[in-house]
Amino acid sequence: MSQTRREFVWTMGAASAALALRGTTNGVFWTRQETLEAGWQPGIEKHLSSTCMICPARCGIRGRVVDGRLVRISGNRLHPMSRGGLCPRGIAGVQTLYHPQRITAPMVRTGPRDSGGWEEVSREEAISLLSERLGDLRASGRPEGLALLSGYCAGTMRDLWHQFMRAFGSPNYVADEYADGTDAIMEVMHGVRRRPGYDLERSGLVLSFGAPLFESWWSPLQAFVAYADPERTNRRRPRFVQVDTRFSRTAARSHEWVAVRPGTHAVLALGIAYVLVRDELYDAQFVTDHLAGFEDFTDEQGRLRPGYRSRVSSNYRTEEVSAITGVPVEQISSLARAFARGDPSVAVCGEDVMRAPNGLLAGLAVHSLNLLMGSVNRPGTVLFGEEPPLEPLVEPVLDFTASAGLARGPIAGSPLFGAGCPALPFAEQVAESGDDTIRALLLYYANPLASSARPEVWRNALEKVPFVVSFSPFMDETTRHADVILPDLLPYERWQDAPTPPSYPYPVWSLTQPLVEPYEGAIHTAEALLAIARNLGGSVAQSLPYEAFEPLLKARAQGLYAAQRGTLFGSEFEREHHRQMEQRGWWLPAHTNFEAFWRGLVERGGWTDLYYDDTDPAHLSAMPDGRIHLLPASLVDALQAGNRELYVHVAPPSTAAEAEEYPLELIPYRLSTLASGSLSLERWLAERPSVFPDVYWHPWVEVNPVTTKEMGLHDGDRAFVVSPNGRYEVRIKVSSGTAPRTVTAPYGLRHPGGEVASPLRLLDSLVDPLTGLQSWI
Amino acid sequence: MSRWGMVIDLDRCTACGACELACKSENNIATVSPEQADMDRTMSWMKVEVEVEGEFPNTTMRFYPRPCMQCDNPPCIRVCPVEATYINDEGIVGQIYPRCIGCRYCANACPYTVKYFNWYGPEWPESERQHLNPDVSVRPKGVIEKCTFCHHRLQKAREDARAEGRELREEDYQPACAETCPTGAIVFGDLDNPTHRVAELKEDPRSMRLLEDLGTEPKVYYLTSRQ
Amino acid sequence: MKPEVAAKLERMPPDERVLLRPLVETSRGFYVVAGLLGAVTLWGLFAYYLQVRYGLGRTGLNRPEYWGIYIICFVFFIGISHAGTLISAILRVSKAEWRRSITRSAELITVLVIGFGAIQPIIDLGRPDRLFNVLFNAQLRSPLLWDVISIGLYFTASSIYLYVPLIPDLARIRDSGIKAPRLYTFLAAGYRDTPAQQARLHKAIGILAIAVIPIAISVHTVIGWIFAMTLRPMWHSTIFGPYFVIGAIYSGIAAILVAMVILRRAYRLEDYFKPVHFDYLGRMLLVFSLLWFYFTFAEYLTVFYGAEPAEMRTFWAKVSGRYAVPFWTMVAGCFFIPFALMARRSTRSPPGVLVAGIAVMVGMWLERYNIVVPTSVNPIWEIESQGRYFPSWIELSIMAATFSGFILLYMVATKFVPIVSIWEIEEGRDESAEMAERVAGYLPDPYRKLLDFKAIGDE
Ligand SMILES: Nc1nc2c(c(=O)[nH]1)N[C@H]1C(S)=C(S)[C@@H](COP(=O)(O)OP(=O)(O)OC[C@H]3O[C@@H](n4cnc5c(=O)[nH]c(N)nc54)[C@H](O)[C@@H]3O)O[C@H]1N2
Ligand SMILES: Nc1nc2c(c(=O)[nH]1)N[C@H]1C(S)=C(S)[C@@H](COP(=O)(O)OP(=O)(O)OC[C@H]3O[C@@H](n4cnc5c(=O)[nH]c(N)nc54)[C@H](O)[C@@H]3O)O[C@H]1N2
Ligand code: SF4
Ligand code: SF4
Ligand code: SF4
Ligand code: SF4
Ligand code: SF4
Ligand SMILES: [Mo]
Repeated sequence: MSQTRREFVWTMGAASAALALRGTTNGVFWTRQETLEAGWQPGIEKHLSSTCMICPARCGIRGRVVDGRLVRISGNRLHPMSRGGLCPRGIAGVQTLYHPQRITAPMVRTGPRDSGGWEEVSREEAISLLSERLGDLRASGRPEGLALLSGYCAGTMRDLWHQFMRAFGSPNYVADEYADGTDAIMEVMHGVRRRPGYDLERSGLVLSFGAPLFESWWSPLQAFVAYADPERTNRRRPRFVQVDTRFSRTAARSHEWVAVRPGTHAVLALGIAYVLVRDELYDAQFVTDHLAGFEDFTDEQGRLRPGYRSRVSSNYRTEEVSAITGVPVEQISSLARAFARGDPSVAVCGEDVMRAPNGLLAGLAVHSLNLLMGSVNRPGTVLFGEEPPLEPLVEPVLDFTASAGLARGPIAGSPLFGAGCPALPFAEQVAESGDDTIRALLLYYANPLASSARPEVWRNALEKVPFVVSFSPFMDETTRHADVILPDLLPYERWQDAPTPPSYPYPVWSLTQPLVEPYEGAIHTAEALLAIARNLGGSVAQSLPYEAFEPLLKARAQGLYAAQRGTLFGSEFEREHHRQMEQRGWWLPAHTNFEAFWRGLVERGGWTDLYYDDTDPAHLSAMPDGRIHLLPASLVDALQAGNRELYVHVAPPSTAAEAEEYPLELIPYRLSTLASGSLSLERWLAERPSVFPDVYWHPWVEVNPVTTKEMGLHDGDRAFVVSPNGRYEVRIKVSSGTAPRTVTAPYGLRHPGGEVASPLRLLDSLVDPLTGLQSWI
Repeated sequence: MSRWGMVIDLDRCTACGACELACKSENNIATVSPEQADMDRTMSWMKVEVEVEGEFPNTTMRFYPRPCMQCDNPPCIRVCPVEATYINDEGIVGQIYPRCIGCRYCANACPYTVKYFNWYGPEWPESERQHLNPDVSVRPKGVIEKCTFCHHRLQKAREDARAEGRELREEDYQPACAETCPTGAIVFGDLDNPTHRVAELKEDPRSMRLLEDLGTEPKVYYLTSRQ
Repeated sequence: MKPEVAAKLERMPPDERVLLRPLVETSRGFYVVAGLLGAVTLWGLFAYYLQVRYGLGRTGLNRPEYWGIYIICFVFFIGISHAGTLISAILRVSKAEWRRSITRSAELITVLVIGFGAIQPIIDLGRPDRLFNVLFNAQLRSPLLWDVISIGLYFTASSIYLYVPLIPDLARIRDSGIKAPRLYTFLAAGYRDTPAQQARLHKAIGILAIAVIPIAISVHTVIGWIFAMTLRPMWHSTIFGPYFVIGAIYSGIAAILVAMVILRRAYRLEDYFKPVHFDYLGRMLLVFSLLWFYFTFAEYLTVFYGAEPAEMRTFWAKVSGRYAVPFWTMVAGCFFIPFALMARRSTRSPPGVLVAGIAVMVGMWLERYNIVVPTSVNPIWEIESQGRYFPSWIELSIMAATFSGFILLYMVATKFVPIVSIWEIEEGRDESAEMAERVAGYLPDPYRKLLDFKAIGDE
C-alpha cells in the first residue's frame, strides 16, 4: 500500500480520532439540543409574510418570530419581483426594529428646541394637542399654513396624506418621492405622466446610463432577478452594459462597463444614436409608424427645421463624441451595433443623468435610443405599468376654507416640467418669508437636517415654523427640533400596503402586517391621521371616514377581488400559468369569497397581475396625434426662450479658475447598504458598508492610486475633503475603480459618533430649470 | 449518507453581500466595535472577497463569496489538539465551542482563512439580544468560530421530516446564505444525490474549487466563465 | 557573610572556596539587578492578568495574524534551551574534557528556559482555563500535542539531567555547613560519595546524556513541524525540523557564551571560564553560523527557485518588502556578525563572544519573527487581504517579563547551587593524568598499522 504524506498523517490520526470520539458527541454545540436537554421549551415560532419598506423596491419578506421577537427576516419566495431574495439592508431590518434610537412614547418638548428636554404624554393627549393646533389653523382661515414634508411613500399611506392635505386645504405637500424626472420625459414625449417601467427580465440588452441598477435605483432586486434568473428557469439572461463615471459594483458585475466623463452620458447616448442612424441600424418601421420629429419638417412659420436625424447626424459624429465622453470611437460603434442587435434592447436612464442643469434634455437623449429601436411597449422594453385596481378612497369633500387654501397654491411653485413642490426651494421660501407662512410642519419619513445638501437652509426654515411635528419612530436630527413627536410604528409592527415601484412594469400590491407587538406608546401614523381627521370634524372628517387603517386596506382590496384579473403571489409555476391564461383571455377565480381572498393575500404577501397587454396602442402615446415626439413642441418652445435647442450639446462652463485650488472632482454615490442618509447605520451594515473588505464604520472616499501617489496619500490615511462649500473628514481608500483626479464619495455615512459625513453638502446645488430637479436635494 | 456541499455561481453573483448579512443574522455573529474593526477583528463566516485588477478604466473586480470550504480533507481538524473542530460523517466540518482552548492552530492551518477568533467576549447590546437566533449558541471569548453550513438547520429539518414521517427533501435544508441570495448564485444540497441541483452543477464545465491543488477537497464549488 | 561561614570558606580547597562563595556572599549590585528584574516580571504578570481578564483582544493579534510574540518567544526560548542539555550532553558523550566547567551553567539555562518557553503557548491560549482539555480530549494527530508530549518529556529529562550531576555538589554543600542543611540534605538524597554511588552516578549521567540528545532534537523538530505541517507558504517545508534544531543549538551556544561572560565577570570565575572555553565555544558558534547560513540559503533558494506565487509573496515580503529590516537584521545577527567575529582567533575572546552571542540571540529571535509573522499576514489565498501586526504593550510586557523572569531565576539559582560543577572540576584534575594516556591512545601507532596492512595482505 502506498501512502502519500498527507494520507500518512491522516491514518496515523485515525486511532486517536476513535479515542476522542466520545468527547465529540458529548460536546455537541447545537444549542437546540442543549436547550431541550436543559428542560427549556422551544420558543413559540411563527413565520409571517410581509414587505420590506426600507427602500422603494418593496421586496417580499418572511419574518421569523420566536416568542414575540422578530429574530430573522428572509425573503418571500412567492413575491413576483423579489422572488425570495433580499438585499443586506432588508436583512438588517431586525436591527432597525430594535434600534437603540427608537422612541417609545409620544413626547412634547419641554426645553428649547434641540435641547433634549421632553415630556412623555399619552397617545390621546398628543393627538388632541395636534388636533387642537391644526383646528386653530383651519379656524384662522389659513389652512395652507400647514405643510407636510414626506419621504418616499406610496400606496394607501400616500393617498391618505393627499386626501388629508386636500381636505384640510393645504397645497403644501412637499414630497421627495424619489423624483428622478423620468416621468417628465414620458410626459413630453409620450403625453403620459407616468414613470417608465422596464421589463428587464425579458430584455436582451440593458444599457444603463448611470443608473446603479445593482446598488440603489428603484429596485436592485428587480435588476438582480433579471440579471441572474435566480429560479434557474434557463431563460435567456440579458446582457448588462453600464455607462458610468466610476467603476461601481453595478459596473463591475455588468457584462461591460463604459467609463464616461462626468456629465457626458447624454452625449454618449446621442453618439450611439448617430451610429444607429448613420448605419441605418434603427427600427425604420417603428420610426415611420410611431415617431414624430425624426425627419426634418417645416414649422408654423414655414421654415425648414432639422429633425432628430439631422441634428444627431451633424452634431454627434463619433470622433467628437469620443473626445467629449472619453469613450473610444470603436466602443461607441460596437455599443450601437450591440444595441441594435439586442432583441430587444432597453436604455435605462439614471437619476443622475436627470439631476443636472440640462437633465431633462439628457434624459430625452437616452430615451430616444429606446424610440429608435422601437423599444417601447414590447416585452423586454419600456412598458407603462398600471396601478393595482384598488377600491378608491372616498371623494374628498372640500369646504370653503379648503378650497380657498388650495387655491393659494404651493409656496414653492412647480417648474414647467416638474411635479409637486420640491423640497429645497420650499425650505428656502420658508426660511426667507415671514413668520406666519408655514405655521405647522409635519415630518413624515423625512430628516432634512441630516439628509439635505443644505441643512442650514432647513435649520432656518424650521426656526420660522412655530409648530413642528415629527412622526419619526427614531430620534433623528430633525425630530430633535420638533415640538411634538408621535412616534410611528415600524413596518414590522404595522399594517400597510406597498405597491412595487414604477420601474417594475407589472402592478404588484404587497402588504405589511404586524409581525411583533408594537411598543406601547407608539402609534401608526395612519391611525393618528384618521383620529386627527375625526377630531377636526366637518369636511375633513367626511373625507377620511375610516375607523382604522387595517379595515381600510381590506376595503381597498375589494377592488382587487372584484377586478377579475391578477392573482395572489404564487410560485414560479403558478405565475407563469397565470400569465399565459390571461394572455389567452382567461381568468379563473381562485377564492369563493372575499374573506378567503384576504386571508390568502395576508398569508402569501400580496397580489399581482403579470400580464401586460402590449397590443394596446394607448400604451404607446397619449398625444393627440397618437405619435411619440422626439422633438416635443412644449419643450422646444420652452427652450427657445433661452435660445437653446434640443439634441445640441453645450459644454458645461469651464471651471479652470477653481481647478487650481480644488484639483479633484467629487463624484458622490449612494451605497447599496444604505437606506438614505438619516439613520445611523445598523451595526451590521456599518461594519460592512461596501465591497472593500477593509472599509468599515468610518466615512471614506475612493481615490485612484495615481492620484494618491501624486498627493502622497496612502490607504487608510485620514484626510479632509474640502470644497468652497465646506469640508468633512474621511479615510482614504485607494481604488483603481475611481478615475484619476476624481474622488468618489459614498454618501449617507456617519462617523461612529453619529455626525453626518455628507459629500452632498460640498457640492453646488445645480438645478434644471425645466424640471426643478436639483442635482442634490 | 449525504455529502453536503455548495455551488456558488460567480457569473450570477452581484456581490451584494446579502449572504454575509443573512449568515450574521442566522448565526448570531457578533459585531465588533470600530476600534476592533480597525484591528482586523471583524467576523463574517461568509465573506464576499474582492480581487481588483487593472488600472482605470481597464479595471476589473472579481468577487468570491467565501464560506468555509467544508473540505473533505480538512487540514484544520488534524491540527486541533483537543478535537474541538471535527468533520462529521456527512462531511460537515464543525466546531465544539465549549472545548476549544483557543490556540488558533486550526486558523493557521486553514488555507482559506475562514476561521474567526473571539479576541474579546462578544458584545451583545440590549438591542441586539432581542434578535438573537435561539437555535444557535453565542460564542464565548477566546474560541474559534466559522461557517457550519448552518448545521442547526439540518438538525431541525431532520426532526421535522421525522415528525412528518418522510424523507428529507432538498429544500428542507438550505443554509441562510443560499436561502437569501437574491440572484440564486448560491445553490446548496447533497453532492452525492443526483436529484439535487448541486450534484449536476458541480460537473458544469465552469466549475472549479479554490486552491484545488492543495488537495483539501473543498465541498464548495465555484462556477465561473472567466479564467 | 557571617564570620564563621567566612572562616569555613577560607578553610576549603581552592575550587570549593571560589565556587561556593556566591552561595553565601551577595553583592548590592545583585539586589539592585534582581529588584529591577523582579519589577519587570511583576509588571508582566499584571499585563497577563489583564489579558486573562479581558481576553486576547489585549494583544495586537488579529485575523489572519493569529500568532505573534508569544509563539515567537516560545520557539525562541525552547531553542535556547538546547544550550544546556544538548550541548553538555554532546560534550559529555564525546568526552570533551573542556566541558567540565561549563556544563552546569548550560544545564541550568536549559531547565529554566524550557519552563519559560513552555508557558508561552499557554499565555497564547484564548482559553487558558481549558488547558487540561489537552489531556482530556487529546487529539494525537495534532503537532501541538506532539509538542506537549515532547516538551513534557524534555523538561523532565533535562531536569533530571541537571539534577543528577548536581548531587555530589549538593552533598558537599550539605556537609560544608555554609548553608542551612535542610534543603541540601533533602536534595542530596543521601549521597555520600562512596565508590558505589560514584559508579552509579556516572552510569546515570552516561545514560541520561545519551537519552537527552534525541529528546532534545525531537523537541525542536516538533516545534518546526508545528509550522511545517500546515500548508502555509514558507512554513510547509521539509527542512523545518532540522533547520529548527540547528537554529536551536546555535542560539543555545550563544546563550551559554553570553551567560559565561556575565558569570565570569560577576563571580570572578576567570579561572574556570578560560580563553580556551571561549575559543572552543566560539569555534562551535562559527560552525553553526555556517550551518545556519547553509540551511537558510537552502530554504530560501528552494522557495525562490520554485517560484510558487503564494510562496513568493511571502518571500519578497521578507527579502525586500515590509519585513526587509527584520530579515536583513536577522542575516546580520545570525551570520555576518558572528562569522566575522568567530572566524578570527583574536575575537574569540570574552568581549568578542559577548557581541557575537548577543547578535546571534537577537538574530535568532528575529528568525522566529520572520517565520511567524510574514507567513501569518500573507494568506495562501491571495485574494484575502494582507494582514498587519503590531504587538501591543501587553505582549511586549509579557515578553519582557519572560526575559526578566528567566534571568532573575537564573541569578537566584546561582545563590543555591555552584554554577560550575565542583566535583567535575576536581574529577577533571584527577583524570588529567589518565587523560594524557588516552590522548596517546588516539594517536596512530606505526607498528600496528603495518601489522594490519600485513594481515590484510595475508588474506
Ligand atoms: N447623507 C445623505 N443625504 C441624502 C441622501 C443620502 O442617501 N444620504 N439621499 C438624498 C435623497 S435621494 C433623498 S430622497 C433624501 C431622503 O432624505 P429624507 O427624506 O430625509 O429620508 P430618509 O433619509 O430616508 O429619512 C427618513 C426618516 O424617516 C424616519 N423613519 C424611518 N422609518 C420610519 C417609519 O417607519 N415611519 C416614519 N414615520 N418615519 C420613519 C427616520 O427617522 C428617518 O430619519 O435625502 C437626500 N440626502
Ligand atoms: N440602497 C438604496 N437604494 C435606494 C435608496 C437608498 O437610500 N438606498 N433610496 C432611493 C431613493 S430616495 C433614491 S432618490 C434613489 C436614488 O438612486 P440613484 O438614482 O441610483 O442615485 P445614486 O445611487 O445616488 O446614484 C448616483 C450615481 O450617479 C453617478 N454619478 C455621480 N456623478 C455623476 C454625474 O455628474 N453625472 C452622472 N450622469 N452620473 C453621476 C454615480 O457614479 C452613481 O453611480 O435610490 C433609491 N434606492
Ligand atoms: S431592495 Fe429595498 S425593499 Fe428590497 S430588501 Fe433591500 S431595502 Fe428592502
Ligand atoms: S447574496 Fe448572492 S449575489 Fe449577493 S454577494 Fe452573496 S452570493 Fe453574491
Ligand atoms: S483554536 Fe480551538 S478549534 Fe482551533 S485548533 Fe485550537 S482548540 Fe482546536
Ligand atoms: S475551509 Fe478551512 S476551516 Fe473550512 S474545512 Fe477547510 S480547512 Fe477547515
Ligand atoms: S452556510 Fe450557513 S454558516 Fe455557512 S456561510 Fe452560509 S449562512 Fe453562514
Ligand atoms: Mo431620493
